[in-house]
Amino acid sequence: MRIAVCVKHAVDEAELKIDPGGNPLLAGAAGKMSTFDKNAVEEGLRLKAAHQGEVVVFTVGGAESKKTLKEALAMGADRGVLVASDPMALDALRTATMLVAAMKKSGAFDVVICSEGASDTYTGEVPPMVGELLGVPYVGYARKIVVEGKAARIERSLEDSVESVEAPVPFATSVVSEINEPRYPTLIQIMQASKKPIDELSGEETAPAGSRRWVEVLSMSSQPTARKHVMIDGSPDEAAAKLLDALSKEGVLK
Amino acid sequence: MSGEVWVYSESETVASEVATAAEDVAKGASAQLRVVDISSVRPATRGSGTRLLLKGPPGPDVSPAVAAEALARAARELAPMAVLLGATRDGREAASRLAAKLGVGCMAEVAGLASDGQGMTGQRDVFAGKVVAKVRCQFPAVATVKVGAYPRAVAQPADAQEKDVGPIQDQTKTLGREKKPAGSVDLRSAKVIVSAGRGVKKKEDLAILAELATAMRGALGCSRPLSSDLGWLPEEHHIGLTGVTVKPDLYLAVGISGQLQHVAGMKDSKIVASINTDKDAPIFQASDYGIVGDLYQVVPALRRALAARR
Ligand SMILES: Cc1cc2nc3c(=O)[nH]c(=O)nc-3n(C[C@H](O)[C@H](O)[C@H](O)COP(=O)(O)OP(=O)(O)OC[C@H]3O[C@@H](n4cnc5c(N)ncnc54)[C@H](O)[C@@H]3O)c2cc1C
Ligand SMILES: Nc1ncnc2c1ncn2[C@@H]1O[C@H](COP(=O)(O)O)[C@@H](O)[C@H]1O
Repeated sequence: MRIAVCVKHAVDEAELKIDPGGNPLLAGAAGKMSTFDKNAVEEGLRLKAAHQGEVVVFTVGGAESKKTLKEALAMGADRGVLVASDPMALDALRTATMLVAAMKKSGAFDVVICSEGASDTYTGEVPPMVGELLGVPYVGYARKIVVEGKAARIERSLEDSVESVEAPVPFATSVVSEINEPRYPTLIQIMQASKKPIDELSGEETAPAGSRRWVEVLSMSSQPTARKHVMIDGSPDEAAAKLLDALSKEGVLK
Repeated sequence: MSGEVWVYSESETVASEVATAAEDVAKGASAQLRVVDISSVRPATRGSGTRLLLKGPPGPDVSPAVAAEALARAARELAPMAVLLGATRDGREAASRLAAKLGVGCMAEVAGLASDGQGMTGQRDVFAGKVVAKVRCQFPAVATVKVGAYPRAVAQPADAQEKDVGPIQDQTKTLGREKKPAGSVDLRSAKVIVSAGRGVKKKEDLAILAELATAMRGALGCSRPLSSDLGWLPEEHHIGLTGVTVKPDLYLAVGISGQLQHVAGMKDSKIVASINTDKDAPIFQASDYGIVGDLYQVVPALRRALAARR
């Protein structure tokens, strides 16, 4: 079974600095593998363990994205493909277009796995677009995937229900975090990962001429809500009484 | 391109919210609003403008794949300037696939929609809600509208025009659908929310928080791990980036660390109070009042103090 997993080198939201004017300082911001992409890699590795084959990880991004590919390789993926692109010049459709072009260059895949949403932008658009552009059935928000022969049974976790869906192989999917517990690579695996191959493709090789970014970001700002930050001390009973007093005064306790 | 803005959601109530958002786009673009149904007219879907019923796929429930294909076929012919869907999980899938089929941009989970006639703009949370981005997309365009960000439209759309889009074969088969445990309350309209996090050691202990919520005439919410990973509460009880956005008068966070993704869903609450054993927990940065303490002592104390006052 050939398994493709899409992993994003996302901006680390916790580390992101904001200047006094409320502008996020994105140039040189710290990055990390998008949180739920670890679940996507883990699911790929589990499918490989059950069905043999290989796991190829794909990313579109700057040179820094190699770190995320290496992390996926350390977890156990077999090879990586980096599509070089300025991460600030991407939107979902352009990203999906490049991912799909890169996948097609690597041969046919039985299963393509993304995560439900990237931890920095959380659009959830790239995975269905990848499925659509690849022209394979797509079943997103998977919390369980079982492949038997030429068919897969997938449990989709929706807002108020769990839907059970059967899809033919090949198919594409996105996973939610509850699908598995991602493994941590050992030191030896991290060292071995540096020997695994990473192919590099240029943006031009994967984006058709004239293709562009459709959704543009006009501005970004951060306006944290002002809070009072009053710490209440005392024994539990004292603190409880003081808190209720304060809340009554605020008029929020009916 | 015709002067039309289309509204669609698989959920009738969400579709009515999207219709309200679409009014702002239609106004800016001097466009007509059309409330789209697929396979059958759903009378509960509200919105001004007219109805457009797409016939062809077997209904009444259609998968995101079929909805996207039906909308794409109709859009190729009738060329609306914008198609707005609800940012539910199914809605995000349908919208993304539709945009990919049409080769146009798709703005994800936006609020504050407007149009300058050439395209539309909207606002969305990025970096786990730390930053708000203003995004723009040239017409023709697709977008998903943040659930809960707009009131439901009240007007009934005028008579339906029907359009046959032909049969659509779903490549996948739905084998079954199981309801998740139903939520007891609508968190979006609750004035007081007591919210439980991983500081709660076991499912049974949620009872003391539920009792506190009742005593405060409020509702019980939670952080994502409690609903998604542990399954202790239904999904619609989880607050945050991937859950519900709430703005009660009082939000009491109990045993919640206050990660950005959680705060994204409650930062517009009027007053935030929190209880946490860790004095350095980030939730205190997002709070008006904080108690450093063990919830197993403070929550019962709050119950006693409340009882004494009533
Ligand atoms: C893309 C993405 C989307 C996400 N969306 C959401 C979302 O919508 N909503 C959401 O909630 N999370 C979301 N998360 C997860 C989020 O990052 C956090 O992991 C989660 O909010 C943590 O939940 P928690 O605070 O309950 O648990 P923890 O972070 O484990 O915190 C538990 C807290 O309880 C305290 N505690 C322990 N014992 C006690 C005690 N006896 N009394 C009092 N306090 C105690 C601890 O000090 C700690 O601060 C998302 C993550 C990602 C990557
Ligand atoms: N630049 C990228 N490179 C590789 N995969 C990506 C990229 N952007 C998004 N994805 C995949 O799509 C998922 C959802 O991302 P998004 O649609 O941006 O929320 C991610 O978790 C990845 O699996």
